Amino acid sequence: MQLTIITDLNKCVGCKSCQMSCKEHNTSGAFGPVPDETPYQDPDGMWWNRIITMESGEYPNTSVLYLPKACMHCYDAPCVPVCPTGASYKRADNGVVLIDYDTCIGCQLCMWACPYGVREFDEEEGVVKKCTLCIDRLEDESLPPQERQPACVQSCPTHARTFGDLDDPNSEVSRLVQERQGFGLLPELGARPSVHYLPRRPAPSPVEREELEEALKERY
Amino acid sequence: MRPAPQLLVLTVGQGIAAGLAVALAALWSMGVLTHREAVWLVLLALLTAAIGGVASFFHMHHMAAARYILRRLKSSWLSREALTTGLFGGSLAILAAWSLFGSTASWAYVWWLWVTAAAGLLAMWVTAMLYATIPAVLSWHTPVTVISLLSLGLLSGASWTGLVLPLGDHVFRVFSVALMVFMLFVLGIKALHWRHFGESHGRLRAETGTGLPFAPYRLQDTGTTKPPYRMQTQVWPAIPVPVRNLFYGLIVLFVGVGPLLCLLLARLTGVEVLSVIFPGLVSVGVVLERWLFFADATHSSRVFFVDEPRHPSRVAAAAKKRAPVSQA
Repeated sequence: MQLTIITDLNKCVGCKSCQMSCKEHNTSGAFGPVPDETPYQDPDGMWWNRIITMESGEYPNTSVLYLPKACMHCYDAPCVPVCPTGASYKRADNGVVLIDYDTCIGCQLCMWACPYGVREFDEEEGVVKKCTLCIDRLEDESLPPQERQPACVQSCPTHARTFGDLDDPNSEVSRLVQERQGFGLLPELGARPSVHYLPRRPAPSPVEREELEEALKERY
Repeated sequence: MRPAPQLLVLTVGQGIAAGLAVALAALWSMGVLTHREAVWLVLLALLTAAIGGVASFFHMHHMAAARYILRRLKSSWLSREALTTGLFGGSLAILAAWSLFGSTASWAYVWWLWVTAAAGLLAMWVTAMLYATIPAVLSWHTPVTVISLLSLGLLSGASWTGLVLPLGDHVFRVFSVALMVFMLFVLGIKALHWRHFGESHGRLRAETGTGLPFAPYRLQDTGTTKPPYRMQTQVWPAIPVPVRNLFYGLIVLFVGVGPLLCLLLARLTGVEVLSVIFPGLVSVGVVLERWLFFADATHSSRVFFVDEPRHPSRVAAAAKKRAPVSQA
């Protein structure tokens, strides 16, 4: 079993509700693992899920992409074998990559090894932290089954994120990846990320420069 | 990548100690060292290894878990580094005690000298492999990293023998040519290494980092973070080209040109004051080289944090000339 999240880049509108819900879920309670010492003065603190906004193309044929980026829970997670204490590990039963904060020495070698830069260093506790795929929610039997999924998936207003087992060929996530050419980031580095993205389609129709300038002239 | 002072001290100190151990074993085996000189060299090696070892402890930010560090010997180069550096430090400590209080005339002493030198080389090799085997740090992921760290360690250690043996001494007169050739080799390796660093800067592509089909790209929002990326120590703001070139020049000056002139002058004139300048120059050069090694390394996640060169906005320029949309 390999639990994962598939994000449809056609549906993501960059609202950052997944980023906020991740922060809210993981800082709430007395033992929330995400540090949030000065939340109103320190907005560039620790976030396990960050939305990258990137513009592509040249004016006038530009487009904006919102890319929610959290732990990719890679099949061959490079952060796991480099950890000297075994604090970073990948669970065999569900494929989630986790960190044992009690045995992490805070050497940050896993942060170097992670190709995606999704691991973050907690200066207060001296350990490295990252997305847990909300493992506490997944295994909380007091929650109704439909709520046993990551906070970011639950909060997405456009249902851009889908959660499921990538190793099950009949699952929704497998079907999406198969039918819509789901892709992983930085494949050349060989980490085999389980988190996939569905490419935007159809491609935005190109606007010719002359066409736009003509329209501007007419309008103004 | 953010250069951590602890790692800088660890790698430089370990390199000097291992280089000193190798130089000591070679010189003692050739019978060109006195007992007093050997003792000083051992103590210097022990001191630099201890400084490096202490620095490595400060690199751990959660000391309570340090007892688990040897758990992943099978896969983690950091586990192996802890083991091999510890073994090297231990063998150096035994060597120091032996040199101070034991008999140095026996074959067993020579044998232990070579064991210590081998332990030093092994520790340096393991440390170098730690960096060279991380595919995400594109600049380091090359065998040249291993050769570079090993050769710089050997060079800095060999130069530190100048603190005990004056450059005008017959030993240096005999080996100065070999040392000069080795220095040129080190500079050649560094040139290769820097070339790989330069190629790594351009290897990252937004196509594979974001799945976007069209170029060029402009990063509008990195996701609630900004330089110097406090929580993401694997990235570091790009070093401006003039600063990088200045570092290249200084490193060549301190590791290559300066020490070569020292050796030449010492060989020709036998001036003793150069004995202190020679290791000093090499050490400063190695520290500069190591800082650049960390600070200029390209991590694959840079594609999500650092923008491609910006183009001026046509829209913004046009808005100044035209009437606001609401009045049109």
